Amino acid sequence: MSDAIRKPLLDRTLALLAAPFLLGRQAIEAITPVVEPPRPALRPVPIPPPEHAVKRRG
Amino acid sequence: MKTQLPDHGPVEAPRFWRTLDERVETLEARQAAHDEFLPGAVPSYDDVHGLPPQPSNSRRDFLGLVSAAAALAATVACDRKPQGTVVPYTKRPVEVVPGVANYYASAYQEGRRVYPVLVKTREGRPIHITGNDEHPGVKGKTSPRAMADVLRLYDPDRLRAPKADGRVVAWPEAESRLAVALRGAKAAGKPILLFTGAVVSPTRKALLADLKAALPTLQHLAYEPASGDGAEEAARASYGQSVEVLPRLAKAKVILSLGADFLNGEDPEALAAWGAQRRLKTAKDPINRLWVLEGPLTLTGTNADQRLPVPPSRLAAVAFALARELAAHGLKLPAGADRSALPAGLPKGVDLPAATWSGLVKDLQHAGRNAVVLCGAQMPAEAHQAAHLLNAMLGSEALALVPAEPLATVKDLEAAVQAMAAGQPAVAIFWDVNPAYTYPRAAAWKAALAKVPFRAWIGLVEDETSAQCHLALPEHHWLESWGDATTPGAAVLRQPTVGALYDSRQGEDVLLGALRALGAATAEDGHAYLRARWEKGVLQGASFDQALHDGLVKTTASPAAPAFRGASVAAAAKRATQPTAEGLELVLFPGFATFDGRHANNSWLQETPDPVTKMTWDNPVSVSVQDAKALGIQEGDFVTLTLEGTTLTVPAVIQPGQAKGVLALALGYGRTTGGVAKGVGNDAYPLLGLDPTTANVRPGVRLAKGVGRKDLSRTQSHHRMEGRDLVRSLTMDEYAHNPQGHHHMPELVSLYEEQKFPDHKWGMVIDLAACVGCSACVVACQSENNVPVVGPEQVAKGREMHWIRIDRYYEGELENPKVVHQPMLCQHCDSAPCENVCPVNATNHSPDGLNQMAYNRCVGTRYCANNCPYKVRRFNFLEYTAYKTEPETLAYNPEVTVRPRGVMEKCSFCVQRINDVKIRAKGEGRPVQDGEVTTACMAGCPSDAIVFGDLKDPKSRVAQLVGISRAYRVLEEVGAKPAITYLADLRNPAVEGGTHAH
Repeated sequence: MSDAIRKPLLDRTLALLAAPFLLGRQAIEAITPVVEPPRPALRPVPIPPPEHAVKRRG
Repeated sequence: MKTQLPDHGPVEAPRFWRTLDERVETLEARQAAHDEFLPGAVPSYDDVHGLPPQPSNSRRDFLGLVSAAAALAATVACDRKPQGTVVPYTKRPVEVVPGVANYYASAYQEGRRVYPVLVKTREGRPIHITGNDEHPGVKGKTSPRAMADVLRLYDPDRLRAPKADGRVVAWPEAESRLAVALRGAKAAGKPILLFTGAVVSPTRKALLADLKAALPTLQHLAYEPASGDGAEEAARASYGQSVEVLPRLAKAKVILSLGADFLNGEDPEALAAWGAQRRLKTAKDPINRLWVLEGPLTLTGTNADQRLPVPPSRLAAVAFALARELAAHGLKLPAGADRSALPAGLPKGVDLPAATWSGLVKDLQHAGRNAVVLCGAQMPAEAHQAAHLLNAMLGSEALALVPAEPLATVKDLEAAVQAMAAGQPAVAIFWDVNPAYTYPRAAAWKAALAKVPFRAWIGLVEDETSAQCHLALPEHHWLESWGDATTPGAAVLRQPTVGALYDSRQGEDVLLGALRALGAATAEDGHAYLRARWEKGVLQGASFDQALHDGLVKTTASPAAPAFRGASVAAAAKRATQPTAEGLELVLFPGFATFDGRHANNSWLQETPDPVTKMTWDNPVSVSVQDAKALGIQEGDFVTLTLEGTTLTVPAVIQPGQAKGVLALALGYGRTTGGVAKGVGNDAYPLLGLDPTTANVRPGVRLAKGVGRKDLSRTQSHHRMEGRDLVRSLTMDEYAHNPQGHHHMPELVSLYEEQKFPDHKWGMVIDLAACVGCSACVVACQSENNVPVVGPEQVAKGREMHWIRIDRYYEGELENPKVVHQPMLCQHCDSAPCENVCPVNATNHSPDGLNQMAYNRCVGTRYCANNCPYKVRRFNFLEYTAYKTEPETLAYNPEVTVRPRGVMEKCSFCVQRINDVKIRAKGEGRPVQDGEVTTACMAGCPSDAIVFGDLKDPKSRVAQLVGISRAYRVLEEVGAKPAITYLADLRNPAVEGGTHAH
């Protein structure tokens, strides 16, 4: 059981570099929220009943 | 994983095996069995337990991230979540009661086949399809593709409004453009081409006749690329007309298949009849016998009692030789047929053991009218004619010859291409067909079509053909449509189960509109047209509403069977003995998932493993073991197929049991349109022949090993259970004398207290003798239980989510193994190993014997999956469902929770169905009746191999089956006490170990 196997160098370096950046961005966004343009609301698909159909049961 | 085929077989091979690796016992196979899960399927935590090192975050990294995440969560948690509102109906449709399912009878069509179905809707949404139990033929069963077609209703790629020259227009504008074009063509006396699929609806036929009367230059071509041109050509030669040959297997004691895959799930009636003769309770019960002569290994071949690999181009010669042999044994040849025209002896290259050959002759001779010969739709015309001759000689009563509407063949399409290239037609209309994809010379088709001045397309999802059309008209899905069909025993109605979701119209409505524009007096819409026709000629005093309620009107009159023309035999026998081109022989067949390509955009079907190869999301070419060895091909290697100047590069799979010199490739893949279909697999249509007598069987193919290989999304090596005694197969002799074989019931000792079940103890019996492996249960379960689709990359990692899988085991020699199919699902063990290891009690036992899951309690440790000896638990490694939006989410069953990422799931024995019945019975103050509760897999199983019920009720079907002599439980020695009992598979071989069937 060696450290070299359990802690790959690349993973750790990436985590060290990325974490401050991600946390910092989140913190800035918490103070000054980025205003995104409103996305068009997804229109629900209407489900009309079948005309003239006769159901078996229900 | 690469598989090097051995020069010699192993000294001690395992009896049952699923993959070539297991058969030759490679080191990789042993390692894979030891590791349980595929590499990459499960990330390892650390190397403490000797797992191979993998790049992952350590515990320290994890704790660091948790701390950071907690800090971040505290920062951003003071935010209000957007509020959602639940709004009740302001105007509730009269049919809809929230929480209560409605059922409508309707009908689905695929090629010439019609499936009467019962459609379950919830809050107006169709969500599940089963067979119509009122129909005398299908008796409540249907096909996997019919069940999966509910997903096509909610296909986000559906065309939602008419388009003219690529821009969205209103219907009046679209209709007026079509009418102007038709009037112009009529005035100029120029041909109008109308391409449709098979016409099985008498009402549609009547409408087309009306259209023909209004447009005298109309030429109608009904083309079905997967129906087999050879069958059509042969019917015309043998009977002088188009004929559908329908198996009636209830009467069949001996069945000979010439490459016919009648057990592939498409024909529920044949499967039901087959299952009825295989669900034996004692060794004295009568059993049929199935002989299969075929090139590629089909699902029917996997269920054969005697299977003989024969190249498809030689099938006709073998069958004609068989006819001569039977004639020598006293069977009378039909009038006009000459014995001397039939070949004596087997053709060159076909080597059948003498004892087997004489066994086949004797079997057919003894069975007489209770024998039937069936020929595969894709087989050459001569093979069909040989089957017609044999059935005429036998006087077979185990089939029905039904006159059918003629179908165009590839030759007729070629003539249409020439006419279009010459600029003759003024208008071409395509209604639910896609010849720009299915015609073998697509480039020639497109160039010719471009010369037609006006082109219109009516269909569901824009495709290769619509791309070339001026008008693209969105059509209703069949669940939104009216229609009818003629089936043996009943006239069937199709009615809408939901109103139109989009601005689409029924194809009939478009044509009726065109008729009105041409000045014809006709009905207002398809519904009125259909009703008027039914009230005039079909109902005969019965009520139309009652017919809609039942979905059909039963009929007794059956059309007269056409007479066999003996004079056609000589020419066919002569063609059958002609030498074929040098090289390998390619068989092109409809894909299990895609059919002719129309289902390629259906992700449920794409992810359902092919029943034989266990491939998902692809169509590799199947190569025989012998050819793979000779050419040095390994599984997944790219190979190139060359035929008459057309070259196709595809990955290869090595298929045990496939005849030497034969290649098999599925049609319906390699689409260029559709969000799901685009780019999946390879288009094999360019290899289809232009000679309709042998369009699907192409000799003279050159096969060469290509460059590189592909990781196949193939499930056959997933969820291994380490070579334990899982599947049992008995010959009839073994069943009579020693049904448990060498297996002995171990004495089970338990440290746990015996479970008590106060009211019910739900259990299941699966009869391996009746199960053919058609995967209808897999699709039914997917539809009922909102099982997610994960895609080819995840399947390759062994992360498919199906709650029920079909394990396909081979037994015996590589070149022609026997095959057993075993449905495997959660066994709902009384002493479930998964329950003991769950740290949060998310999985536990119910008082009626269900191993149940509390999804919101599951924290995703996956201990349960590791401890399940049956490998039936499925983990949501990724978020497969949360990002779905309407219309896809409309297909969900609201009775079943949609599971998020990080949650374990598995078969629930359809607990929602059990509770529905229990609540209903309680409300009516009565006990639950046997047979009242059906799981989705049981309801979907066409051969009735699955029986579910209360084991505490000694009169229940399930309790009685548990006690028969070939019953066993998988891994009983583990002591888990599974609630599922299997009944050993049965074989009735003719040569040794069988029983007399007649």
